[in-house]
Amino acid sequence: MVNEYFELINYGGSFYYYLFELANFSVLALLAMIVYQCGYININSLIVWVGIFLLPIFLNYFLFSPYLFPDQFQYAAEVASQKSKGISIPNIAAQNDNSLEDIGLISGISAINPITLTTKILGFAPIPNFMTVTSLAFANKFFLFLTFLWLKKHFENENALLMYFLIPSLLLYSSLSLRDSLVIILSLLFFIYAFKDRYLISLIILYPLFFLKIQMFAFFSLYYLGRFLFRANKSLASLGLFAFTILSLSLFFDDLILALINGYRYGFAAEDLDLGNGLYGYAAWSMYGQEMMDSLTLNSIPEAILTALVGLPNLLLMPLPWNWSNIFYPVQALESVFLIFLYIWIMVKYQLFNNKEFIFLTFILVASLLVYSLLAFNEGTFVRYRFTLFYPFLIGIYFIGTNSKLLKDRE
Amino acid sequence: MSFLKKIDIKNNTLLVKEFFFQNVWTNISLYLIGASLVFSLILVQFSLPQFNVSATLREAQTETSSNNSNLGVGTNLIQFTNSKSNVFNEFVSNMQSYVIAQRMWDKGWATEIYAGGDETIDFNKIKRTHTIGDRLSALLLGYELYDYYSPNDLQDFIKANVSVSKEIKGTNITVSMLSDDQKFALKFLNEIIIDTDKYAKEYLILKSNAIIDETYKQLAISKNSAISASLAATINSEYLKIATLQNDLPYHIYFIDPPHSSEYPVTPKVSAIFISNIIIFIFISTLYSFVKSNKEDLW
Repeated sequence: MVNEYFELINYGGSFYYYLFELANFSVLALLAMIVYQCGYININSLIVWVGIFLLPIFLNYFLFSPYLFPDQFQYAAEVASQKSKGISIPNIAAQNDNSLEDIGLISGISAINPITLTTKILGFAPIPNFMTVTSLAFANKFFLFLTFLWLKKHFENENALLMYFLIPSLLLYSSLSLRDSLVIILSLLFFIYAFKDRYLISLIILYPLFFLKIQMFAFFSLYYLGRFLFRANKSLASLGLFAFTILSLSLFFDDLILALINGYRYGFAAEDLDLGNGLYGYAAWSMYGQEMMDSLTLNSIPEAILTALVGLPNLLLMPLPWNWSNIFYPVQALESVFLIFLYIWIMVKYQLFNNKEFIFLTFILVASLLVYSLLAFNEGTFVRYRFTLFYPFLIGIYFIGTNSKLLKDRE
Repeated sequence: MSFLKKIDIKNNTLLVKEFFFQNVWTNISLYLIGASLVFSLILVQFSLPQFNVSATLREAQTETSSNNSNLGVGTNLIQFTNSKSNVFNEFVSNMQSYVIAQRMWDKGWATEIYAGGDETIDFNKIKRTHTIGDRLSALLLGYELYDYYSPNDLQDFIKANVSVSKEIKGTNITVSMLSDDQKFALKFLNEIIIDTDKYAKEYLILKSNAIIDETYKQLAISKNSAISASLAATINSEYLKIATLQNDLPYHIYFIDPPHSSEYPVTPKVSAIFISNIIIFIFISTLYSFVKSNKEDLW
């Protein structure tokens, strides 16, 4: 069911809202019961997943206003429009008209809008209602559940894997009508297939990431090239050669790379700019941005690397206490420390210090985080970006740890 | 098809069948489906059908920000977002302002909204109720609650019910609201749009008059003929502006499509209510049977 007048109707918090979303929950919970009956999951997973499916009902409108993540309305309106009329909502349709050319990044490429692509993929979820701003969260949960079922085959301990699906940020982002959990799912599929040397499937999975999250596409492309062309996961010498090649290329094309990074730095700095008296964001930037640009501009690759290294601890630990401005920040601050601890714990537990696969994966993770640390002006956005990047790597090293024998045998 | 073998379709189909007959296809499900139909009927009977009333407007003039090609990619991105949004923003701010609420109040709209159209009631004396939370806050903080509705309430009503949107890169503005009373919404929307535009014009006339007054003062003391000529030109242009504003023509916006209502109510969606209720009630029944048969495992 969709309501063709979605953009005009806000069921927010009303009885109808809970009615429509309870129906969505019921379908997913029934699915979990059937999967349990077929013996694909154990009783712990059943109980936990029914709880996970119920969570979206208790977030938007109940625990916080959906306007805390206002992008959700765009996704919800788009899915309703796509399902009822088969076209995008006017705002997204307007963005689709040579959107990349407008911002001067790429010319001649007609981009697929990430919101449209997300809603088209999530729209396949067999939930009965796409009526409210929270409906796509249930679609997210459905695909996350399928991912769990698929991942389960690769891990001996189902309960341990289940714990990784209880990380607060994953619960939060998959309970919202956003694309982050879809990006995480594709990233997980990409890594597992890459670990199994299924390069063609990995490449196919990489393609939608170009439209959904271009920076993740860039990081994973680097991983793909390093693995496929340089065999950087096989020896330290290959990894060294790969790192040297990247550095050489970045020095050779420094103008292009710096222009791109600086462009994004201005954009993110503008988003976060607050001059007080109601003057903030792009409006403030259009008045005073010119004066700030010099201090933000990176002029060389070594300067960029140094700036990234200095900013890395801030990125890893954000949001720091003086930046806490909503109820999730303290939880996310603790979680950021916990995730780093978990990464180290897995490394120690499975003795991955000398595992080349692990070293290469960590190299790509650190390189990606360094790029993010150059752009991390807005805490809210980058806490989300950091988790979306970090989580697939975390599951990746867990996979390497638990399957190290299998991976070694293949070598 | 090795992956199909792994799924073991035959065995799984048997298990799903077993699940269906054991937990879904039961007497309780049948009773609850009946109950869901009754519940849905009651719910629909108590629902207030709402119509969508909307108007399409177009900006009568647009302001574009200056374009500096030296500012690079980031600034282009920002200018792309900022350009042509001033008229729309000003229109929305004016519409949601207290001044407009006060004007609508003076025209007696409070009677329609808060007194059900009963014109025998003075719209300044329409009694209002307060929530327990409001009363408690007032008691704790030591302030008095107003017994009657005021323009502040009307301002909140406008903010909550009249939505204004404009597509990116477009010039059309859509003003809409949901209401169970089509006639009221059509009149209300039309009037608030016209008043909002009029308010923008009044502000500009006031501004021009102020400029004229000050320029006259400067003109009286100016001894330089070039400056005097320039000041006179300013006065002329401001008078011209006033002349163009003092008419009934729209200033910021004009109607492309005047307020009109949807033919049928757009909410609630009856089929969605019935289907949702059936699903929920079947789930409750299935859950009951499932918990009963898996009691040992679950506890």
